[in-house]
Amino acid sequence: MSEQGDTTTDTTTVQWADPLEAVEVCYDLGWTDGLPVVPPTARRVGEFLECVGRSADEVVGEIPERRRVITVGKVAANAVMAGCLPQYLPVVLAATEAMLDPVFNLVGPSSSMGGSAILVVVNGPVVRELNINSRNNLFGPGNRANATIGRSIRLILMNACAAIPGLFDRSVIGHPGKYSYCIAEAETETHWEPFHVERGFGPDQSTATVFAAESPRQVRATGHPESILYAIADAASSLGTSMSTSGSVGDRSAGLRQGQIGVTIAGASSLWKDWTKAQVREYLYANISRSVGDLKEAGVLPGDPEPGDEAEFVPLLPEPEDILLLFAGGEESNMASVIPSWGPKVASTAVTKPVR
Amino acid sequence: MENAGIPSATICTDRFIPTAEGMAKMWGAADYPTIFTEHPIENLDRDALRSRAEELAPLVVQVLVGDSQ
Repeated sequence: MSEQGDTTTDTTTVQWADPLEAVEVCYDLGWTDGLPVVPPTARRVGEFLECVGRSADEVVGEIPERRRVITVGKVAANAVMAGCLPQYLPVVLAATEAMLDPVFNLVGPSSSMGGSAILVVVNGPVVRELNINSRNNLFGPGNRANATIGRSIRLILMNACAAIPGLFDRSVIGHPGKYSYCIAEAETETHWEPFHVERGFGPDQSTATVFAAESPRQVRATGHPESILYAIADAASSLGTSMSTSGSVGDRSAGLRQGQIGVTIAGASSLWKDWTKAQVREYLYANISRSVGDLKEAGVLPGDPEPGDEAEFVPLLPEPEDILLLFAGGEESNMASVIPSWGPKVASTAVTKPVR
Repeated sequence: MENAGIPSATICTDRFIPTAEGMAKMWGAADYPTIFTEHPIENLDRDALRSRAEELAPLVVQVLVGDSQ
């Protein structure tokens, strides 16, 4: 960065004397997530736009409830601030386009007390091209692409989509994934069909999927596939997730919100040689549920527990296909994670878009 | 809804005042007469909730038929 530069938005041009002052000016303007950002100089944003060959004023999508139109220029500026390399921008744009799709209903997960973060899952050749991490420390630190692509989404939410904490983002708890929440699937290291292929894309296509999600919960179970899946199902059936909360929308006959769930399984793919993703889903769908007795004890369902309630179970998922199953995580162990959805499926559904 | 010509009244608990005022400003109606009530309401039982609604009803009527909008 030169000693003097300028930062341009739709309405603001800022001058600074030195790089550290520029970082502080970004704080003063309310452009950060609390961590320092790379000042979005006109020159740097221009380099990003040149990389994708798109104009700054091209519309990516909008949030009509907040009267916000999201342009390629705004996405690029926030990707710069997040610390991205220019070649990451196509992934950030695809994820942004996905979260602005009407079925994702961004105004819900970006404002709700439920405090979701937007998990970005990347698939396809771009994972190798950009070295997006799908293995050790899947949700942890240490990889520029994961850290900055995920952070871009949060900065876009705050700066372009008005999801400002305490104002329009009313998360009660939130979670660390709200700083950055981006992973890839280790699709070349498993016999399982890649996640994006299951969702209708070609194996040679690259995609970004967005999912309004709670934090991942580690499932420390190893051994045989059945015992691992039993533990995953148990963790996914917890009281207190959005999925096991009493429902006011969606299929009201279920009595629960229900919703989609992410499941990651790490380790060696060979353990699963006799299992397909569909079989894993069927097992989990049949076992991710909670007894009527427990749901009454927790006040999720009305009434006092009655004899027989402990043997009657309510599924927490609408369908087996609502399990977003990924082979991802370190090679060291077959540990897994469950990632409950922010809300009921009718309120927000995972969306996949191609990386262009 | 007001922009579509449909009289409307908005009730919001007082922990959400900045959000409601921010949204009103975003829509160019900074003086929109949101009705605020004490937070929280999610734990109120049916009788307490009815009582709260009865307290607020006159304000709703005032917003709907009054000349403040």
